[in-house]
Amino acid sequence: MSDTISRKEILADGLWHNNTIFAQLLGMCPLLGVTTSAENGFWMGVATVLVLTGSNLVVATVRGVIPVQVRIPAYITIIAAFVTIVDLGMNAWMHEMYLILGLFIPLIVVNCAILGRAEAFASKNSVTDSLVDAIAVGGGFTFALILLGGTRELFGQGELFGFAIFGADYPDFLLFILPPGAFIALGFILAGVNIINRRIKANAARKMAATRAATAAAAKGVTVTEGT
Amino acid sequence: MESKKKRVIEPEQVKMVVAMFVVAAVAALLLGLTDIVTRAPIAEAEKEALHKALGQVLPPHANDPLEDMLTIKPDGSDTPKQFYPARDKAGNSVGMAWETIAPDGYSGTIRILMGVFPDGTVHAIRITSHRETPGLGDGIVHNSKWLGSFAGRTLDNVRWAVKKDGGEFDQFTGATITPRAVIKAVKQGLVLFRDNRDALLAPKEKVANDKAPAKDATGSSEKEATDE
Repeated sequence: MSDTISRKEILADGLWHNNTIFAQLLGMCPLLGVTTSAENGFWMGVATVLVLTGSNLVVATVRGVIPVQVRIPAYITIIAAFVTIVDLGMNAWMHEMYLILGLFIPLIVVNCAILGRAEAFASKNSVTDSLVDAIAVGGGFTFALILLGGTRELFGQGELFGFAIFGADYPDFLLFILPPGAFIALGFILAGVNIINRRIKANAARKMAATRAATAAAAKGVTVTEGT
Repeated sequence: MESKKKRVIEPEQVKMVVAMFVVAAVAALLLGLTDIVTRAPIAEAEKEALHKALGQVLPPHANDPLEDMLTIKPDGSDTPKQFYPARDKAGNSVGMAWETIAPDGYSGTIRILMGVFPDGTVHAIRITSHRETPGLGDGIVHNSKWLGSFAGRTLDNVRWAVKKDGGEFDQFTGATITPRAVIKAVKQGLVLFRDNRDALLAPKEKVANDKAPAKDATGSSEKEATDE
């Protein structure tokens, strides 16, 4: 599959069709843990993108060199190195956010989505393709984090990125801030994603049917108006 | 492994070991470099965070409390403790800040920076680190009304407990354990201050006599690492 895949497809796959959260349901721990607000989700996403980009680049560079038997420990070492670098970097230059996300940054190591990309994509594709893949998959993951964080912040505290949306009198809806809220909100988001996916599929099917009908009609020499 | 031949080391095995060795060595090198690069900024960021918190808990002062840090062994304790004195332009003590620790938070230790006037009246407290439930217990961090309720309190002018326990401090909806732990820790901090007040507030050169062997008599600021 990887031989014929285009950059555009890599992007679309990572961002939507094969989204880590929406389609694969991987990386749940940081997703559910840090998404009490849109901002937390955003920075967790940034940290993940950095690690993913680093690990994908290195794994793609050394593909074929690492013996297949030790590839998993080698990948984990590479990922762990990048996680520690991001961890130290955030501690140094984004201290306040580091205090909030602190616990979850080291846990990026065990975000199976990252090892998954190293194993399933970077180890079989060129460096540039792997870079595109890291940005796409990381972007998709970040998008999901912000969406869930934003939903919980909006309903839990009536704010979005720290700005009051429902006015200052909004009574905090604690359930959404607490861990169960993460599961409930995620459930609704996944339902929404499924509805959108079904629409996309239905549209594609209808379009295909229309083209087929048009071709058939054209073959008969009759004009058909589309969309009937 | 039993075989008739003498045990031979396969080239494949050598390759695996070499690959892992190289990966680990490069990772270690990168991490070492990152540590060198980030060490100073991290110390700087932590110092700045402490500085900022000190500015919030201490009454207006003219000195740098971090520079003038005192390290004394409180009565009945073997571990030296850091105190951050606030002085006016003339060098008179206008307040004192230190960290008090509540080991019995709802989820783990809560660290509190508290600042008092020389007479032992609380000026302000700030939570410097905690892992309380977002939306419930973490009100101790951003509920300014609650934090403000500590201002002006002394050991004697208030009952140091939450209202539920017959005290005068509010608990939070759904969270009693967290405020209870903080109140207890602040009270202990005040007792600590009362018991060591003379040593702490003594003019600089006298601090050395009985309670503070760590402090040298010239009063030059002690620059110890602030990490635990």
